[in-house]
Amino acid sequence: MCLSKTVGHSMDKSITLPPDEIFRNLENAKRFAIDIGGSLTKLAYYSTVQHKVAKVRSFDTTAKEAPNDKLYEISVQEEVTARLHFIKFENAYIETCLDFIKDHLVNTETKVIKATGGGAHKFKELIEKKLGLNVDKEDEMTCLIKGCNFVLKNIPHEAFVYARHADSEFRFQTANPDIFPYLLVNIGSGVSIVKVESEDQFERIGGSSIGGGTFWGLGALLTKTKRFDELLQLASKGQHTNVDMLVKDIYGGSYGCLGLTGDLIASSFGKSATADKEFSKEDMAKSLLHMISNDIGQLACLYAKLHNLSRVYFGGFFIRGHPVTMHTITYSINFFTKGEVQALFLRHEGYLGAIGAFLKGAEEDNPNQYSWGENYAGSSGLMSVSPDMNPMQRARSGTFDMLEMDRLERQLVNLPLLQDPSSYIPDTVDLTEDALARDYWLYCFEDALDGVVKRAVASQPDIPEAVVRAEKFRQKYRHKLLTLRHQPL
Amino acid sequence: HFVSLIKKKLTFPWFGMDIGGTLVKLVYFEPKDITAEEEQEEVDNLKSIRRYLTSNIAYGKTGHRDVHLELQDLTLCGRTGNLHFIRFPTQDLPAFLQMARNKHFSSLHTTLCATGGGAYKFESDFRTMADLQLHKLDELDCLIRGVLYIDSVMSRGLSECYYFENPTDPDHCIQKPYTLENPYPLLLVNIGSGVSILAVYSENNYKRVTGTSLGGGTFLGLCCLLTGCSTFEEALKMASDGESTRVDKLVRDIYGGDYERFGLPGWAVASSFGNMMSKEKRESVSKEDLARATLVTITNNIGSITRMCALNENIERVVFVGNFLRVNTLSMKLLAYAMDYWSKGQLKALFLQHEGYFGAVGALLELLHPS
Repeated sequence: MCLSKTVGHSMDKSITLPPDEIFRNLENAKRFAIDIGGSLTKLAYYSTVQHKVAKVRSFDTTAKEAPNDKLYEISVQEEVTARLHFIKFENAYIETCLDFIKDHLVNTETKVIKATGGGAHKFKELIEKKLGLNVDKEDEMTCLIKGCNFVLKNIPHEAFVYARHADSEFRFQTANPDIFPYLLVNIGSGVSIVKVESEDQFERIGGSSIGGGTFWGLGALLTKTKRFDELLQLASKGQHTNVDMLVKDIYGGSYGCLGLTGDLIASSFGKSATADKEFSKEDMAKSLLHMISNDIGQLACLYAKLHNLSRVYFGGFFIRGHPVTMHTITYSINFFTKGEVQALFLRHEGYLGAIGAFLKGAEEDNPNQYSWGENYAGSSGLMSVSPDMNPMQRARSGTFDMLEMDRLERQLVNLPLLQDPSSYIPDTVDLTEDALARDYWLYCFEDALDGVVKRAVASQPDIPEAVVRAEKFRQKYRHKLLTLRHQPL
Repeated sequence: HFVSLIKKKLTFPWFGMDIGGTLVKLVYFEPKDITAEEEQEEVDNLKSIRRYLTSNIAYGKTGHRDVHLELQDLTLCGRTGNLHFIRFPTQDLPAFLQMARNKHFSSLHTTLCATGGGAYKFESDFRTMADLQLHKLDELDCLIRGVLYIDSVMSRGLSECYYFENPTDPDHCIQKPYTLENPYPLLLVNIGSGVSILAVYSENNYKRVTGTSLGGGTFLGLCCLLTGCSTFEEALKMASDGESTRVDKLVRDIYGGDYERFGLPGWAVASSFGNMMSKEKRESVSKEDLARATLVTITNNIGSITRMCALNENIERVVFVGNFLRVNTLSMKLLAYAMDYWSKGQLKALFLQHEGYFGAVGALLELLHPS
């Protein structure tokens, strides 16, 4: 059904989550930025969050105290943390989202919103009318690169390598101070290939019109699915060999002297050139995914080769952390460069433009002087829907995606005592990679939960709601652990 | 001694075969200098084969002889005759084998030189169904050999090689001949079911640079799925009547005009099939539009990859061959334009009249002049 853009009702019907859980902390929001792509919009804003922090002060137990004195004192203080919010939603919801934001903007003196993305042009008037802010357009590519540089430098484990059959699927890269030069392949509706040589030096060296829009458009035509995620779901279940013509279908085996193995795709959709057969949606979707991923991978390799680059980062909504897509792209890059070039993915692909636009606007605040940490509680995870997520959360992750980043009090720098920061390997346990350790620790947490709850209640004997709060905590915590078990990312 | 060697090894009929993923290409040499004596000795089935092939232009329901490509008065190995170019779908190979069996082809004890993947895949079928032994040859070796040979024999009259001047101006777009003397280095792009890109440095020195699976087979396959058509010709006809800009999302659809900063003109395609993300638009486009968009997408992609290869290999001349371009002026012109535009005039797109037959010609040459 067509999504109605005019009536507020359409939003209520399709989102079961109350909007204020998505657009959090709007009251003090300032510094807005918006990135409007061909089909998705990403909104960024900076706000302050007041929260209670419990500060614990322990008493000296050796001093002579009365036996019923407490061992420690909790004082609750109000603290203000600066937090960045990023929200992603489909363009169709833009009007209703803007209305909602306008209604909740109370304490702001902001006059300007930074906008980027191709759609910034189309929606400029709408935004100005709805939010009463001036739209200051920033170049899309600049924002993308700024955003990419920011996440690569500031967020540890932002980039990762995907290896489907290895012990750990995701191998996260530690933040490296030396990130230039690199190739960024941004796969949105179309593909842009950018060579980044320094913080300010970058160039769009090429692109392709076969991208996410092609996958969605062709996919919708072939399988009649309307949503991108549905299409990916179909693809994950399909057998592309029923639709594609492989080398072995032409040669009866491999094309030995050229090293082309029999399972390679010789002609995508090569078997569907017959009028008398029906092909399953899953198979066609898979074929389409391979076709597009391989093509993008190949082109990326050709550019990387021409410019002598060995690190290629892939961003853009096409990937969305989807394993099959990441696998095909990684495979493609390995195949075409015989392992010389590495395909890397970003955890926060899709947000790069919004982050960059925001940074352009926040230049006065010197965001690069600070360090930013992710607020894991407020951010959607890397993978999409967990099987036993409750309906609210499922709706949230399908339609809206969030990222929150807190500004840390002090800047994180490499330990000055380190001899060579770029080759240092910290002695940490990575629970995403080490399944055994993960299991162990999750089990420990679960096991200890009851004990922790009991202690918590016991520490505040004179507060009646303590039991209720503790119970709430137990539920939430247990649920979080369960989610972590199923979806470690 | 030389003559007797030929007589011993090179008995008629002379065929070259290229069994591809979608089409079988057959090249047949019809001798026109048969002496009375020879005619007397000629066995019946050989005569019948010759008559069958040369007096028909259609064979069965799907076989076809491209008369306009026939090369007359050709001298090969001391004999003079006509070279015929025949094609039929690979899926009808069993019918071909049946016919070969019926005409007792195997009793003629000739070597059948065949290339293409099918030479390997169907080798046992040839043996069991028609009692024929194939001499298998590498398809890229044959391709190069065929291209160089045909160009050399054609240079005396009509040009085998040509290019397009003013490719996007329909009123002024013309085909112009191009001499392929000193052709090296050359990028040869063979667009069949799939695509192979070769860098050719000399007659015997070439390498396969890369390939892509988005080829002719993809065009036909996607067209059949999207429009319900069943043949290449149908698909092309639909494409020529369609408007791809209704299906594709152009730069101007996103930016409202050119994206000047990066030199992207408003008419360039930003996202192929990008408009099809919207249900309304999906319902408003015609089959012809979809066919056109498929053609444009596949063609432009091949152009893109070719251009990057040319840059990486430092080659300025690109020759496009393969049956995807058969009766496909649309794609040829698109390729010509794209090469020229995106390389700012550095690359030249060239085409050859005998398009997809070079592999078969190369196979025939191997029969006559074993390397």
